[in-house]
Amino acid sequence: MSVAMEVCAIAERAIAGRSPSCITEVVVEVGDLAGIEIQNLEFCLDTLLRIPPFTRAHAVVRRERGDVLRVASVEIDE
Amino acid sequence: MTVTVIDVRERVMARNDEIARGVRERLERARAPAFNFISSPGAGKTLLLERTLDALNAQLRIAVVTGDCQTQNDADRLARHTDRLVQAVVTNGGCHLDARQIYTALGSIALDATDLLLIENVGNLVCPASWDLGERSKVVLFSVTEGEDKPLKYPNAFRAARIAIVTKLDLLPHLEFDLASALGHARAVNPALRFFLVSARTGEGMPAWLDFLRGEVAAARDDPT
Repeated sequence: MSVAMEVCAIAERAIAGRSPSCITEVVVEVGDLAGIEIQNLEFCLDTLLRIPPFTRAHAVVRRERGDVLRVASVEIDE
Repeated sequence: MTVTVIDVRERVMARNDEIARGVRERLERARAPAFNFISSPGAGKTLLLERTLDALNAQLRIAVVTGDCQTQNDADRLARHTDRLVQAVVTNGGCHLDARQIYTALGSIALDATDLLLIENVGNLVCPASWDLGERSKVVLFSVTEGEDKPLKYPNAFRAARIAIVTKLDLLPHLEFDLASALGHARAVNPALRFFLVSARTGEGMPAWLDFLRGEVAAARDDPT
């Protein structure tokens, strides 16, 4: 949950200064050595992305090699 | 309506890791090694630290930071075993400590009068494994009441740690716990793990653990860097 909360915090910072009508997608890259249970992360993100300012966003978790764990992009509707 | 994709490429742990580096630098300057104790709830972190404080207080200047979801119970318990202020971090439901909380706690600790920092993390074997607090090492505890396959169920915690402590050893005769199997599972996850087998209640195995801590403090003092 804490990782998912950090993902949301990064996504919120990424849209700072914009006024999107909605955030539609948050893409997270997770390496196989990142120490993350992807199903758990997806579950937590699904929960957090129902809360403003997200509400209509869905998470896309991309599996990568190595220990990468980063927010790749945020898609918004302007 | 226009769909825009904002390229972010920000590491999820970037901010925490930056603060953790700052914590580590401060502790290294003070030559005070820090150990971050992680385990599932009820594995015996607090009792181990109580006994550790009782045994080493006269020899080492030990600072303690303890994290808890909702109460200061652990901090209150530990405060009875030291004259120093125990830093209590109540996470208000948060399932782990982060580096910012430790950095803030260091502000109330006289590091120049500290030989050793013990950090009791929130009871949880998942999230604390992922968060660097600036410690020298993570110490993962698991008790003989928990099942031999704990290291396989929570490999990240055992992979992130340098030290594993099997606790509640006094209960072993009353349980069908296969100690060799448990240690084997832990080694399979992290072959470099160093083990201590203890009962904080009876004192079994405690001398080796205490010697280890004394050695870590001595090594930090002698480090020419």
